[in-house]
Amino acid sequence: MTIDNNYVIEVEHLTVSYHAKPALLDISVRIEKDQLVGVIGPNGAGKSTFIKAILGFIKPDVGTVRINGRSAQKTKGEVAYVPQRGAVDWDFPITVEEVALMGRYQQIPWYTSPSDEDRQAALEALKMVRMEDFAQRQIGELSGGQQQRVFLARALAQGSDILLLDEPFAGVDAATERAILDVLERAKQAGKTLVVVHHDLSTAAEYFDRLILIKQRLYAYGPPRLVLREDLLSKVYEGRLRIFSEVLKGGES
Amino acid sequence: MYDLFIAPLTETYFQKALIGGSIIAVVASVVGCLVVLRRMAFLGDALSHAMIAGVAGGYLVMKLLFSLEAHAPGMLLGSLIAAITTVALISFVSRISRVKEDTAIGIMYTGIFALGVVAVSIFRHYIHIDLMHFIMGDILGVADTDLWVSAFVAAIVLTILILFFRHFQITTFDPIMAASIGLPVMFIDYLLTICVSLVVVSAVSMVGVILVVGLLITPAATAYLLCDRLDKMMWLAALFGVTSVVGGLYLCVWLDSAGGGAIMLFCTLQFLVVLAVAPKYGLMARWLRLRNLIPQQQVEDILTTILRYEKPTPMSVILQYVEQEKGIKKALGSMIGEGLLSEAEKGYSLTDAGHREATKVLKAHRLWETYLESIGTPQEELHPTAHQLEHISDRSTVDYLDEKLGKPATDPHGKTIR
Repeated sequence: MTIDNNYVIEVEHLTVSYHAKPALLDISVRIEKDQLVGVIGPNGAGKSTFIKAILGFIKPDVGTVRINGRSAQKTKGEVAYVPQRGAVDWDFPITVEEVALMGRYQQIPWYTSPSDEDRQAALEALKMVRMEDFAQRQIGELSGGQQQRVFLARALAQGSDILLLDEPFAGVDAATERAILDVLERAKQAGKTLVVVHHDLSTAAEYFDRLILIKQRLYAYGPPRLVLREDLLSKVYEGRLRIFSEVLKGGES
Repeated sequence: MYDLFIAPLTETYFQKALIGGSIIAVVASVVGCLVVLRRMAFLGDALSHAMIAGVAGGYLVMKLLFSLEAHAPGMLLGSLIAAITTVALISFVSRISRVKEDTAIGIMYTGIFALGVVAVSIFRHYIHIDLMHFIMGDILGVADTDLWVSAFVAAIVLTILILFFRHFQITTFDPIMAASIGLPVMFIDYLLTICVSLVVVSAVSMVGVILVVGLLITPAATAYLLCDRLDKMMWLAALFGVTSVVGGLYLCVWLDSAGGGAIMLFCTLQFLVVLAVAPKYGLMARWLRLRNLIPQQQVEDILTTILRYEKPTPMSVILQYVEQEKGIKKALGSMIGEGLLSEAEKGYSLTDAGHREATKVLKAHRLWETYLESIGTPQEELHPTAHQLEHISDRSTVDYLDEKLGKPATDPHGKTIR
């Protein structure tokens, strides 16, 4: 099989089932590099299964997921994961610097401690998201936007070209949302591919270069104006059409 | 003085209790940090209860097969097997049935504890285990073998924890990230459970089944109130573990009380003291923070008072108009610090920033008054009610009122709104 360098994530005929019910059915999608990609779909559409498949946690029933041309199950760590805010214990006794350092854990052999080089890399990553002044703070003391930046720094310290973010905009205010988006944009300009699970259809067109619309099956993949079409959305979001007129307007502007 | 502090140290039983207790307390406290952060305290309790079945089993097997009486390593191994069986049963039940994990833990550990109790009483002619000793522990009767066993366990567990510190840290903090970089998360979880079991098993002979979970989590929780890094938390927890043992043992000698009980009592008191005085996460710190908080309402009242007075305002005038007199000095001080006010001989005046803030509140006040009049509020209630409502002065509220009232130029008293 030829490796096309332009595609960093290649999903082919991916089917994953739980108890004979398909969570994902025959999904094929190729994600080009240097993109900000939004994954949208209603609750229970299989978005989290899709994430797990890309992280290589699940063995597909059929199909393959390839990261940089190799099977996702063999490319541990090539996709850097940024957890949902709600999944993090913000009272955990850990400083900003230590979180960033976690990005290096894969490279550090189990029998040694992090080297100066590792610490330097963590600090560099914090500088990229302008959080170096907060290095010694406990993570719970930060604002929502700062917290997201710290986890982004961890992903950057990991050195992966692909970042997977689980609902980074959930539960933050509008100003924070802008701040996070800025950081994502800058990561993209630094040559990263970002795959972002996203909930809010009204901002999807504005934020992303490409959208993946899934609900078990892949309904569309492409630029927002091709994905946010009334016929597609009404199929996926069944009957909850009221919100769409606004979304479609946003998509055109 | 000599009698109180030095005399007990010369007694062999006291020395052994001190050494054995300290070893166990250190390792229990360090593992306990992970137990606290992973919220598995209940599991620790379960493991300590379940091991009685293992102790009975180990005793019986060693006696029947090798005719060894009360063989410590045999009982240790038996307890470990019982602990792991319990954990396996718990995860099995909570995975395959709709019964949730806490209930599954409750069912399994009481079940296995009961099995142990029944076994000990049936085979009472073969097994010479004092159930009371098992439940309450006997730190003052620590035997040499207990010391060796606990030293051995502590060495193993501490080695594992130090070697795999980062692995335990990341799987506790962010298991998905840990799995995504290829760490064997399940294996690490089991490794931790085994460590907890080992510690619990070797601590039971000293402090007893009921108190062992306290030794596991209380020093760790005490350290948790003081630390923002896991490695420091572990060091401090170990220290608190040792002070609990030392303090508890003295308490026990002075009061002539049960050893395990005295240790845990001291440990808990230590926690309460730290809870009260911890600089960042303690009750006193929290109380001080709340006390130093200056009510926004008071700040806004001061601002509008000075704005209405239109010239440097003496203290007496401010006191006359501001409802809450308490803490007004402090509020003024902090407002000067924030650059809202300046102080001169004749009184306080507004800075530019203060003026902006005050105008905003005053505008809200006048809009609210107009609004209240429009909904038919009696004249005499207009001002006092608006005075309460003026603190709702965020942009969108003010804009809404302005819009709804048709952008009025003056309020009911003829004052300009802008």
